[in-house]
Amino acid sequence: MSSPADVLTLWGHWPAVAAAAVGALVPRGEAKQTRIALAVFAALAAGLVGHLWPGVATGAAPTEWPGLLDLLVVLPIAGAVAVLFLPRQSPKVLRRFTLGVLLVDLVFSLQLLRVPMTRGWHFVSVHEWVPSLGIRWHVAVDGMSLWLVLLTTLITPIAAYASFGSIKTRVKELCFALLLLHGAMIGGFVALDLLVFYVFWELMLVPMYVMIGVWGGPDKIKAAIKFFLYTMTGSVLMLAAMIYMVVQYTKLTGAPSFDLLALQRVLLPREAQALCFWAFAIAFLVKVPMFPLHTWLPDAHVQAPTGGSVILAAIMLKLGTYGYLRFAMGLFPGASGLNTANLAGVAVLGGILYGALVAWKQSDIKRVIAYSSVAHLGFVMLGLFAVTPSSISGSILQMVNHGISTGALFLLVGVLYDRRHTREIAEYGGIAKVMPIYTALWVIVTLASIGVPGTNGFVGEFMVIMGTMVSPRLRAFAGIDATLAAFGVVLGAVYMLGLTQRVFFGPLSNPKNRHLNDVTPRETIALAPLVLLVFAIGLFPALFVDRMKDSVQGFYDHYQYVWGEGRVERANAELLPPSSDPALERGAPPGPGVAAAAGEP
Amino acid sequence: MGILLATSPLLIVALGALLVMLVEAFAPKLQRGELAWATAVTLVGGALASASVWMVGTVGIPGAEALAPYLLTDRFALFFDFTICVGAALAALLAGGYLPEHGIERGEFYVLLLWSTLGAMMLAGAGDLLSLFIGLETLSLGVYAMTAFRRASPRSTEAAMKYFLLGSFAAALLLYGGALLYGATGHTDLAGIGQRIAEGTASPVLLLVATALIVAGLAFKVSAVPFHAWTPDAYEGAPTPATAFMAVVVKSAAFAMMLRVLTVALGAKATSSWGAGWSTVLAPIAVATMTYANLVAGRQSSVKRMLAYSSIAHAGYVLVGVAATVRSSGAEAQAAVLFYLLAYTVSTAGAFGALVLAGSRGAESVSYEDLAGLGRRHPAVALPFALFLFSLAGVPPTAGFFGKFYLFRAAMYAEGSFRWLVVIALLNSVVGAYYYLRVLVFMYMREPAPGAPIAKPMKSAYVTAALVACALLVLALGLAPGASLDLALLAPARG
Repeated sequence: MSSPADVLTLWGHWPAVAAAAVGALVPRGEAKQTRIALAVFAALAAGLVGHLWPGVATGAAPTEWPGLLDLLVVLPIAGAVAVLFLPRQSPKVLRRFTLGVLLVDLVFSLQLLRVPMTRGWHFVSVHEWVPSLGIRWHVAVDGMSLWLVLLTTLITPIAAYASFGSIKTRVKELCFALLLLHGAMIGGFVALDLLVFYVFWELMLVPMYVMIGVWGGPDKIKAAIKFFLYTMTGSVLMLAAMIYMVVQYTKLTGAPSFDLLALQRVLLPREAQALCFWAFAIAFLVKVPMFPLHTWLPDAHVQAPTGGSVILAAIMLKLGTYGYLRFAMGLFPGASGLNTANLAGVAVLGGILYGALVAWKQSDIKRVIAYSSVAHLGFVMLGLFAVTPSSISGSILQMVNHGISTGALFLLVGVLYDRRHTREIAEYGGIAKVMPIYTALWVIVTLASIGVPGTNGFVGEFMVIMGTMVSPRLRAFAGIDATLAAFGVVLGAVYMLGLTQRVFFGPLSNPKNRHLNDVTPRETIALAPLVLLVFAIGLFPALFVDRMKDSVQGFYDHYQYVWGEGRVERANAELLPPSSDPALERGAPPGPGVAAAAGEP
Repeated sequence: MGILLATSPLLIVALGALLVMLVEAFAPKLQRGELAWATAVTLVGGALASASVWMVGTVGIPGAEALAPYLLTDRFALFFDFTICVGAALAALLAGGYLPEHGIERGEFYVLLLWSTLGAMMLAGAGDLLSLFIGLETLSLGVYAMTAFRRASPRSTEAAMKYFLLGSFAAALLLYGGALLYGATGHTDLAGIGQRIAEGTASPVLLLVATALIVAGLAFKVSAVPFHAWTPDAYEGAPTPATAFMAVVVKSAAFAMMLRVLTVALGAKATSSWGAGWSTVLAPIAVATMTYANLVAGRQSSVKRMLAYSSIAHAGYVLVGVAATVRSSGAEAQAAVLFYLLAYTVSTAGAFGALVLAGSRGAESVSYEDLAGLGRRHPAVALPFALFLFSLAGVPPTAGFFGKFYLFRAAMYAEGSFRWLVVIALLNSVVGAYYYLRVLVFMYMREPAPGAPIAKPMKSAYVTAALVACALLVLALGLAPGASLDLALLAPARG
């Protein structure tokens, strides 16, 4: 006996049911595995959109489980350690274990969506680590990191699943690297203690270095070492600046702290601030990577195996942009504000335009996409440099978009590479005739990458360009930057469509391509969630922007406030009062002006 | 009784050395490997004894001061005793695997190792120039013999010869410097010398010459550039356990001596201040040491020699901390040096242990090519090796990272030009990462050239035990560094 209310609740799920039906029906003639998986993904996508729809999930305010973030970070790292004790001889067990851990992480990370992302920190978790030095395990999310965490928990299982299809050697090392990398990346996105962040930041270098170096292409060793050394050079300078900040903070308050919430109250004199800002900025800009520090990226991408490229492009580069936003801008509004107009010029000319032009001229498909990353991340950085709420929101959305579309593009290139073991554009042509489903997927993702309305890429780029246009921080250059960036979108269409044209259309001239198989169930399953998200974000961007806008506004207000304070010339470091908004101080360490209660989550 | 308790770490090691010597002489049929256990157990006993004395508290032991100033049992000495004993125990375990494998198994090695360790512990506790010199010679003579232990190898003999000549030269410099100090101040105990210098009655010329001689002698012992020339040859030629002993025990003891002499005897403004004293000299030496050693280490084709240069580079990092002890925040810098040496001891001993395990008789794995494909062939050797190299490179969360972090943090507190020292040292650690990563490249990313002789890894429970202990310590110090640093902060050098 079901009451009418029960029927109504069920009725509330009709979009998901319908999507599942469509998902199961569409791929006629495909394997059962594919059809079930697609149905599930379609239902999940509909459920995600429905769940995020404002006003649907009302009721009592859900409680935040404080251990959730700890779990998200620790689970994969513990899994990596556990992998060491699994037998090398049974790759199937290793693979299933790894995927299982990653999927459990994904399911748990969806819990982050149950809480409305109001201004301030959520899921705060604080534990003492080295009390005498003020180092604490302090993790939290806000609207700025929420989507990046979810992007990570989504992309890594996909990359792992795809890797397991193509990498058959040394599976144990692969599983270890994937799990360690996963935990370190999530840790990087949620850490609010600078030293904890640094630990994760360095820790993630190691597995990626191993992934490029062990399963990479012919020039893998050079690419791996270049990647490691470039990033490490940047980050040691950041460590020096970090320690300097903490020394200043200790002198002001008498107690050390590595907490972001504590250190962002320190107002350094102008020169020290400039030095520290550049130390932080270079560390992050290398990782982004921004022209002229980008030269490691094409090498790393071309040599890395598919899974490595996906993770590198989709997530690791985002740690650079996210780190710039959270730490370089968050700690040094003054110095970053002074340099932002110049940096924006570099982002436009060196990133968006130069990246696009270089991408146009490449003969290797992966290189095209690698340089397109430079161009797209130019957009992201431009949005951050413009410092308006709209452009920052656009940047964060664009980080997610780039993760989805570039991740999907690298997966697609991997599909082709697994069949032909070459990525030369000249080797292909007319692939659409033999691989129609593959071509359809490629075209969808390409359009998303270009930023066609209706796909995710459009929303992000649009918001960035709009925000840039009205940015007071870029002074007279705002209009020029926005115009050139818009021109960059056109260039993006030129090289991506040119690539599509040369690879997929025209005559099927190369006889080796006559008998290529279309996508396998494994590849379809890996790609389906990404393609669905392209439309989910493209059609309902407000659902995603809504969750970040309060946090972005909070960040912006604080930035403006410190910028106002920072214009006063100072001879010595000074301490600002803590933020008047208690939500922004949740989890802050006790210090002068901070109520002791604020130290507790 | 109090004296016995206070000096129990040294007594245990001395007693163990005597026993091992007697057993070796009267029971030649005994399995030699058991001597390695006996040695390691003795040294672990020494480490535990120093930890217990620490917990009882040196103040609480009646009569503990009776040996002062010749042998101090303060926390500074106890911390070093602990580090030294741990390092020596690890070296003994390595020897237990290495010596039989390479056919040079003779019990004397363990005896020499134990007496040298005793010398190192005396050095850490010496508060008088006389006992300091005796400790130094006790330490060095054993190490010279251990270096020459591969009698059949000309390289080993050459290494010992070089080490002996330059080591004696350095000892002579120290002795000369000490004699001049005595002439200038009328004291041989470090505290007395420090007091006289602070009073300002000593002749400045004598003091200047004495300080210069002593700094040069100390720089020899810690192998700082430009006094490092003996190090690569001695390290490469010596049997690997002896190399590990030199790299960890001798270096720790030398730094203990350096800290105590520089801060207690020469700590007064006249001889230490920035601009006139030894800190002005040590800072450029530190920069030269790390930069030169890191650059040269990258050019080596032998892994053992690379590790030798790497140990020089690490001495350069530690010198940054030693130089920073002149500032008001000196206690922090000293604690950071102590912690760094502990972290360095376990990482380096582990790295040499992995190197021992990667080679076998007639093919002591020393070149990069020998290690090619080790990660696939013998993952249980390659993985800990990788961990120790990451620790040496300073990648978190390992002991090496926190060692560097504390050191550079302390130097950052010292302000002034020390900030730039920190930046230089950090950039240096990137250069360091390059050559540590090269080992990883060969272990995991290259396969041996077809037909090339492949070093077959040996099997030894001793070396495995040492590796497991090192790996646990590296991770423990990396994940929970707070406790041991707090202990190090309690251990300032006193006269």
